[in-house]
Amino acid sequence: MSALTFSAKHETAQRVDMSPLVCQLLKDMSLADIAAIELQNGKRKIRVDELFDISGEDSQDIIINNSYAKLDFIGKELASGRMTVQGEAGAYFGMGMKSGELLAGGSVGLYAACEMKNGLLTIKGDAGDFLGAALPGNKQGMKGGTVLVKGNVGQRAGDHMRRGVMLIEGNAGDYCGSRMIAGTIAVMGSTGRFLGYAMQRGTILLWKQPQLSATFNDCGSHTLAFLPILFKSFTSLDSKFAKESATFNRVRRFGGDMAEKGRAEVLVKLQNEEKNAAFSAASFS
Amino acid sequence: MLIKLTGGTVYDPASGIDGKVQTLYVQDGRFIKQPANDVKIDKEYDLKAKVLMAGAIDMHTHIGGGKGNIARMLIPEDHRKDPVHRSDITRSGCGHAMPSTFTTGYRYAEMGYTAGFEPAILPINARQAHMEMADIPILDKGGYVMLGSDDYLLRMLTAKKDQKAINDYVAWTMNAAKAIGVKVVNPGGINAFKFNQRKLDLDENNAHYGISPREILISLATAVKELGVKHPLHVHGCNLGVPGNVNTTLDTMQGIGGLPLHLTHIQFHSYGNEGDFKFSSGGAAIAEAINKTPNITADVGQILFGQTITASGDNMRQHANHGFASPDKWVSMDIECDAGCGVVPFKYRDQNFVNALQWAIGLEIFLLVDDPWRVFLTTDHPNGAPFTTYPHLIRLLMDKSFRNDMLATIHPEAQKMTTLGSIDREYSLQEIAILTRAGAAKLVGLEDRGSLAEGAWADITVYTENADREKMFEKPDYVFKDGELVVVDGKVVHTKWGTTHIVRPDWDSSVEKDLQKYFDRFMTMKVGNFKISDDEITEDGRGSLTTHSLNGVT
Repeated sequence: MSALTFSAKHETAQRVDMSPLVCQLLKDMSLADIAAIELQNGKRKIRVDELFDISGEDSQDIIINNSYAKLDFIGKELASGRMTVQGEAGAYFGMGMKSGELLAGGSVGLYAACEMKNGLLTIKGDAGDFLGAALPGNKQGMKGGTVLVKGNVGQRAGDHMRRGVMLIEGNAGDYCGSRMIAGTIAVMGSTGRFLGYAMQRGTILLWKQPQLSATFNDCGSHTLAFLPILFKSFTSLDSKFAKESATFNRVRRFGGDMAEKGRAEVLVKLQNEEKNAAFSAASFS
Repeated sequence: MLIKLTGGTVYDPASGIDGKVQTLYVQDGRFIKQPANDVKIDKEYDLKAKVLMAGAIDMHTHIGGGKGNIARMLIPEDHRKDPVHRSDITRSGCGHAMPSTFTTGYRYAEMGYTAGFEPAILPINARQAHMEMADIPILDKGGYVMLGSDDYLLRMLTAKKDQKAINDYVAWTMNAAKAIGVKVVNPGGINAFKFNQRKLDLDENNAHYGISPREILISLATAVKELGVKHPLHVHGCNLGVPGNVNTTLDTMQGIGGLPLHLTHIQFHSYGNEGDFKFSSGGAAIAEAINKTPNITADVGQILFGQTITASGDNMRQHANHGFASPDKWVSMDIECDAGCGVVPFKYRDQNFVNALQWAIGLEIFLLVDDPWRVFLTTDHPNGAPFTTYPHLIRLLMDKSFRNDMLATIHPEAQKMTTLGSIDREYSLQEIAILTRAGAAKLVGLEDRGSLAEGAWADITVYTENADREKMFEKPDYVFKDGELVVVDGKVVHTKWGTTHIVRPDWDSSVEKDLQKYFDRFMTMKVGNFKISDDEITEDGRGSLTTHSLNGVT
C-alpha cells in the first residue's frame, strides 16, 4: 500500500487547522470521505480536496507535500502511524502527540511538540519558540517521547517540560529549559541568555559553555557513567547525536536554579580533554 | 405585534396557576387580556401539551466583575476544550466553567433563563461589572453591591456613627454602583485577612477596627430594611467551607433579631464536624432552622461533580483552600481596600469523601426546606458548578430514583453520612417554577417579571413534557424575551439586549461631604468618577435601566 499523500495545490492566505488529518482519525475512512473533510481556514472552512491533491491509501503513513508555514496543528495528538511533511509546517506541529513518528523536512513554527506525550518527532529545519513547551497558562509541557531538531530552535525551548528528551543539533535561543520541571535537553550548538531560568529539576546537556545566571552553582568536573548509556540510547536516530564522535563522559556540572528548587543540573562537555580522561585533581580547580 | 400562545399548560405560581391549560396573549412585550374577536393576531403558536413557565431567573450567578476575568485568564485549558464558533446571529467565544460574556447570554437563554443577578459587585469595580454585563445578550441583569469589608463602613462602625448615617452611606453606594441589593461577604473577614487574621468568627473582633461580623450584619441588614430595599441583605456568612460551620450559620440566623436575611450558597455553610473524617452534614439542622425562621431565605449553592473554578470576594477562605486548587494555580488579592478577591480552580470528585458529602448536603437542604418560596436553585455559578448543570440539578430534585442511583455511585463513606436516600420528596413542576421564577422575582424585588399574568413582561419558556427532566429543561421549545422569540429548540435564533434592574433608595446629600474628603485622601478615583451615571448604561443604545419600587415608598 502506498502512503496517503496530500499535495498542496496552492498556498492559502489564511492559516489552516490541519488537526483532522492525522492517522488515527483517517483510519477506515474512504478517500471520498477524506476529501470531504472541512478544515478551518481563517474564519472560513475549506474542503480537503480544495486545498490538496490526494493520492495513495495507507492512512497509517501520511505524507504532506508542498507544505507551507501556514499549516498549523499537523499531527495533533497523533496516536499511531507515521506522518511526513515535505516542506515547512506552521505552529503547534505535533502538539500533544501520543505515539508514532512525525517528521518535518523543513522548518516549523511556534509551539512544536508542545505538551507532547510520546513518540518520535523530527524536525530537519529550525523550530520556532516554545518547542516542547506548555500551552499558555498550562502547567506542564512535554511529558515524554523524543524531539530531534537538526536546525536551530527559538526561545523558551522546553518551557515547563516535564519528561522526555529534546535533542537540538543547532543553537538554542534565550530561556532554553526555562521553568523546566524535569526531563532532558541536549544542545550541540550555542545557547542564549537565561539558560534554565527557574528550572526545578532535569538536565540540560551542552557541548558549549553557556552564559549562566548567578543562581547556578559550579559543582566541579565529573566523569558521569550514565552519559555513555544516554548516548547509546540515541544510536538508532538519524542524527549527529548517534555518532560515536559526539559522545563524552567528562562534564562540568552546574546546579540550579537556586531561585527555584535548585535540583536541576546543567552539564557542559569539558573541552580539550581526552575522552575518558582519567580522574584528575585538576577537575576541582 | 400581537402574539397568541394557544393551549399550553401554564405553571405560574405568581398568579397561583398550577398546571392549567390557558391561552396567553402578548403585545408590545407584555401580556395582555384576550383581545376582541376582530383584532388581528399577527402570530399564533400552538402550544397544546406544552409546558409554559415564565423565563427563569438566576438570583445568584457570578457573571460580571473583575473576578470573572481573573477566572477566565487562570484557566485557558478549560476554554480550549469548549470553543464556541460564531454564527450569522451569534458571536464567537468559549464556554464551560467561566464562559465569555456572549456565550453566557446564549447558554442561559438556551436553557430558558431570561435574567441573572451578579451577587458581588464591588463598588469600586461596579463600572467594569456593568460594562461586562452589558455584553451579555438576551438576559436581564442586575447586581448586589458588596459592602461590609470596606474601610469606610468599618471606620463608621468604629466611630459608632448612628444608623441613619450608615443608611445614607448604603443608599448612596447602591445608587453610585447601580445595584438592586446589598451583599456582604465574610462580614469584615476580607478586611481582617489584611491584618493577618486567618479566620473570623461571628463574634470575633477585627484586629484593627474592633468590629465583629455580627455588628456588621446587624447594621447592614437594618440599613437595607429601613431603606425599603426589597431584596434582603444578601449574606455570604463567616467560615465558608469550614467543618463545624453549621453552628455559625445557625447563630447568624438566630442572632439577626428577625431582620430579613438572605443566606447565599448555604450548602457551603452547613457542615458539621462529626464522624471519622470530622466532616458531617448539617443540612437537616439548617433546613429545620429555615423552616422555623420566616425572615430567612436561602439559595443552596449546590455542587455538581466535575471541573469548575471558584471565584469569590472571600479571599480569607479562598486563601485557606488554595491547597485544593486543581489545576494547581490560584489568585488572592486585595481590591483597593474595598474588598478582596480569591480565585481557585476546583475539581469536585464524586469519589472524594468531602465533595461527595457536599453534594448530598446541598440536596438535603433543597428537599428538607418546606417552603419553596424561601429556597432558590443555584450552584453559585461557577463556584459549585457551571450554570449549564441546572437541568441536571432539576432532575435530581424531581426524580427520586435518579437521585438515589446517583447517590449509590458516590464515595461510600459519604453515602453513610447522609440521610438523602431516605428522603422521598420530589419537586413538582410548580415548585420548580417557584424556585426558579416566581420566588426569585419576588426575592430580588422585580415587579413585573417571573410571572405570566396580564401586565407582566412576556419572558416565557415553553417546554415539552418529558419524564427525563434533565432533557426537558435543557432544551426548551421556545423562549421569549420581552415578547420576542429568541430561542427555538434550545438554539438561539434571535438576540436582543436585556435591561438592568436597579433600585434608587433615597439618601441625605450631606453624606457626600465626608465621602468627598475620604475619596480625595485615600482612593484611586475621585468621588465624581466613582458614581456611575444612568447615561453610562443607556447611551450606547442597547442598555437600559429599570427602576423597581421600594417597600413603603411609592
